Amino acid sequence: MTELPALEQVLREIVAEGGPDAPRRICEACMAALPLDRAALALMTAADQQEPLWASDDIARKLDDLQFSLGEGPCVEAFVDRRPVLVADLTEHAHSRWPVFAAAALRTPVRGLFVLPVQAGAITLGVLDLYRDTPGMLEPDELTGALCAADAAMWTLLGLLDGVTGYGGVDGERAVAADGQQPVPDLHRLEVYQATGMIVEQMQVSPNVALSALRAHAFAESQTILEVAREVIVRRLRFDKEKP
Amino acid sequence: MSAEQSSRERALAEAFVSLADTLVTDYDVIDVLHQLTIECVELLRVDAAGLLLSDQRGTLQMAAASTERARVVELFQLQSDEGPCLDCFRTSQPISAADLRGMTEWPRFIAHTLDTGYRSVHALPMRLRTETIGALNLFSIQPRALGPDELRIAQALADVATIGILQERAIRRRDILAEQLQVALNSRIVIEQAKGVLAERGQLEMERAFQLLRGYARSTQQRLSDVALGVANRTIAADVVLGPLHGSTSP
Repeated sequence: MTELPALEQVLREIVAEGGPDAPRRICEACMAALPLDRAALALMTAADQQEPLWASDDIARKLDDLQFSLGEGPCVEAFVDRRPVLVADLTEHAHSRWPVFAAAALRTPVRGLFVLPVQAGAITLGVLDLYRDTPGMLEPDELTGALCAADAAMWTLLGLLDGVTGYGGVDGERAVAADGQQPVPDLHRLEVYQATGMIVEQMQVSPNVALSALRAHAFAESQTILEVAREVIVRRLRFDKEKP
Repeated sequence: MSAEQSSRERALAEAFVSLADTLVTDYDVIDVLHQLTIECVELLRVDAAGLLLSDQRGTLQMAAASTERARVVELFQLQSDEGPCLDCFRTSQPISAADLRGMTEWPRFIAHTLDTGYRSVHALPMRLRTETIGALNLFSIQPRALGPDELRIAQALADVATIGILQERAIRRRDILAEQLQVALNSRIVIEQAKGVLAERGQLEMERAFQLLRGYARSTQQRLSDVALGVANRTIAADVVLGPLHGSTSP
């Protein structure tokens, strides 16, 4: 049984506080709340280009290294296919999906692998790797927790990449709801992504830079990301090349 | 059987044949879901249809809609907080509101819906065995009760959407369902990002941007989600998708 609301709360705090320690904290929060034995978080820019940010132990680190040097495995697949790769029991995949990786991985105690892309639409920043030593699929509420952790990793990595961290508004919830209304889950609002696309064109940058710019503006103006996104969509606010 | 009835049955058969054809080839989930919402509008003679999927984080997200008109998209999104779609998803039961005027449930949703020009709403669950993964939402401008036959058709269309998300052999495995849901929802975000690029480049409404995106994918026989990814990442030039009418930097 997971402590899902507690995990979500911890993740919100980690995103709000940001900083270089966030990858470790996200992985540890997952390991504390979910039936996992190991976790790791890596930045990825291509299937063979990765930068490990944190790994819980040597085995998690080795599994990551192995995949990137072999060019196969759940991390590579999650990144390339932009989808979660959930493996309840690695022994079932020993000869088919990733023959070389599985043979090597089966010499470690790890049996269940749950790899989530750290992504938002066209933006893919890395992968969150969750490992357990006993076979078995994550229960639906556990998967919810893992997906929330991947979301938290997304905002944290975006912050680490652009240097703006420690902003409580990134998860779309004001620290204090100004109008007394329920906090709006901004990040799931399609407007945020429409505005991101508009900024891609205005600034001639990649979507992750555009989303960073949107987020930095919200931070500077003490607005939520959704509020800024709406200004962009109704064309009251522009992000131009010279004025990010 | 009346002429109207038989022509409708023909349309229905054609729609299912065409959807079945799609589902045996290599298809793009998000494109199939969009097609399905269009079929709903035509077959059920409603004015707008949308599919909302569970994001597995406790929220319903719009995955596809028959129109990308901003006001309508807003209506679908609003239902992550309250509305017949959310209730339908939670109870796994169809919900019909033949005339919203005078109803007191879902006050925010109803106010917004009437304001957008719709009077009636229907929601059908998307179910797989014991799991409910989303809901099909139908809007009509006029007060409208769907008869038992129409509700059966609507449910069948919702079921096709569920199967479309699962893809072939995946139906037995819950992990694949979870993966597929995430793929569909992430594709939706990519489409929004691409719409933004095109809307800015061509100074267009989001709805028009979507039409051009889909038109380009069709005419070049590419997957909608691949084209959207290319546009969002700028590996496909916006001008190519926009075509000669919108290509240059207009106003």
